[in-house]
Amino acid sequence: MLGAFVRAFRTPDLRNKLLFTLFILTIFRLGSVIPAPGVNSAAIRDQMEQVQAADDAGIYALVNLFSGGALLQLAVFALGIMPYITASIIINLLTVVIPRLETLKKEGQAGQGKITQYTRYLTLALAVLQATSIVAMARTGQLFQGQIRPETYLPDQSILTLVTIVFVMTAGTGIIMWFGELITERGVGNGMSLLIFTQVIAVFPSSIMGLWEEQDTWLFALICVAGLVLITGVVFMEQAQRRIPVQYAKRMVGRRMYGGSSTYIPLKVNQAGIIPVIFASSLLYLPQLAIGLLGEDSSNPVVRFLQEYFVGGTHPVYMATFFFLIVGFAFFYVAITFNPAEVAENMKKYGGFIPGIRPGRPTAEYLDFVLTRLTTPGSLYLGLIALLPMIALGTAGAQQGFPFGGTSILIMVGVGLDTVKQIESHLQQRNYEGFLR
Amino acid sequence: MILGLSIFVMFCSVLLILLVLLHKGKGGGLSDLFGGGVTSSLGGSSVVERNLDRLTVATAIVWIVCVVGLGLLLNRGGV
Repeated sequence: MLGAFVRAFRTPDLRNKLLFTLFILTIFRLGSVIPAPGVNSAAIRDQMEQVQAADDAGIYALVNLFSGGALLQLAVFALGIMPYITASIIINLLTVVIPRLETLKKEGQAGQGKITQYTRYLTLALAVLQATSIVAMARTGQLFQGQIRPETYLPDQSILTLVTIVFVMTAGTGIIMWFGELITERGVGNGMSLLIFTQVIAVFPSSIMGLWEEQDTWLFALICVAGLVLITGVVFMEQAQRRIPVQYAKRMVGRRMYGGSSTYIPLKVNQAGIIPVIFASSLLYLPQLAIGLLGEDSSNPVVRFLQEYFVGGTHPVYMATFFFLIVGFAFFYVAITFNPAEVAENMKKYGGFIPGIRPGRPTAEYLDFVLTRLTTPGSLYLGLIALLPMIALGTAGAQQGFPFGGTSILIMVGVGLDTVKQIESHLQQRNYEGFLR
Repeated sequence: MILGLSIFVMFCSVLLILLVLLHKGKGGGLSDLFGGGVTSSLGGSSVVERNLDRLTVATAIVWIVCVVGLGLLLNRGGV
């Protein structure tokens, strides 16, 4: 285990990539602590310790989690990657609806680049929207549920300052987007998910500390053990895959002999990864945003409806919606990323077949059948894990701010495994080269 | 002073956003228009891209310094 680390740092190429990634992540964290101009973050922290309840309110907790605590400090990077995630969800959904986007997607790399570019524009548009709503909420004190007087953390409430904050936060989102792309391009792992990972990890120690102070020792130990068990289970489920054997026929091309090997198609139980959970939770964040925009007067029936069912995060309706959204998105995302007909077609082209099944359409049907059967437990598992902290909150009356919340565990394990695998593949590349030369 | 710095920060923010948008997001962005031709991912970044990177970093540094400066000014004025 340690040997692998040493080897990773001895490979100059990989070392540079790792250091670059760490460097970017450090700057990213730094930006999450620097307050936006005109915000007195020391005051916020002071008040927060006295009140404590403000950051635990259901949905905010999740958004705050994604921004690594930066949101409630009104930092430069307060919006985090939330706008980017929302934008890519919207674009992803629109790809199915709008034919032009679909043709672009099928065009290959150039079209994909264009879609990425659209996502980037949309991200900044959303960033302006969210920054404005956050600043508006901060000004009225709604951001902290009226627990903290706005004058304490926003001493200067002139229009100029507020507009400056909106500009700064939007630019911050742009920088975060760029950071993510830089990591993907020159570092290790997927930049965007690594950034989420960092933010989740960043709030982890403080919530553990909070737990340690609030609970008595035995309960604390019990929760820790439960968390470890949960992590083990999640790792197990994330790694689980079904291997469909594929036999390649031998064929002669010129004087060379190709094929004749048997491999497999790995189909993961949870093919979609953490994306459904992120999709669902950011979609359920929308009602909150709507309330922020509509104003909190309770005479408006829409606001009253939303407030009763979708704020707080412990109402059964909310939980059920969350669960079904996750299950639905899991199927949806798997359908987008894995196309059985295409795989079957490719296999047929290169003379491959699944033993016992004809190539072509029957193979596609078989793959579809297996995939659906696999995704069913996979999506249910995702939904259950994501609901776990809410259930714990609702029934056992466990203290809020449960650090082993489903979403954060899924993100930690998923991104962690992914990144380690990428590092490993880099290492293997090196070693194989070394063997062959 | 505060007014001037605020306006400068806003200007820098807009500039920064534009610079970030000029980067190609993992293949084929606006920067392909300037670079021309297909730059493969293996061949490193083009000269345009490299200069864009430098410009972005420089702007970002100026931006963050101004943001912190403005923050200090405003907080001192408020207390």
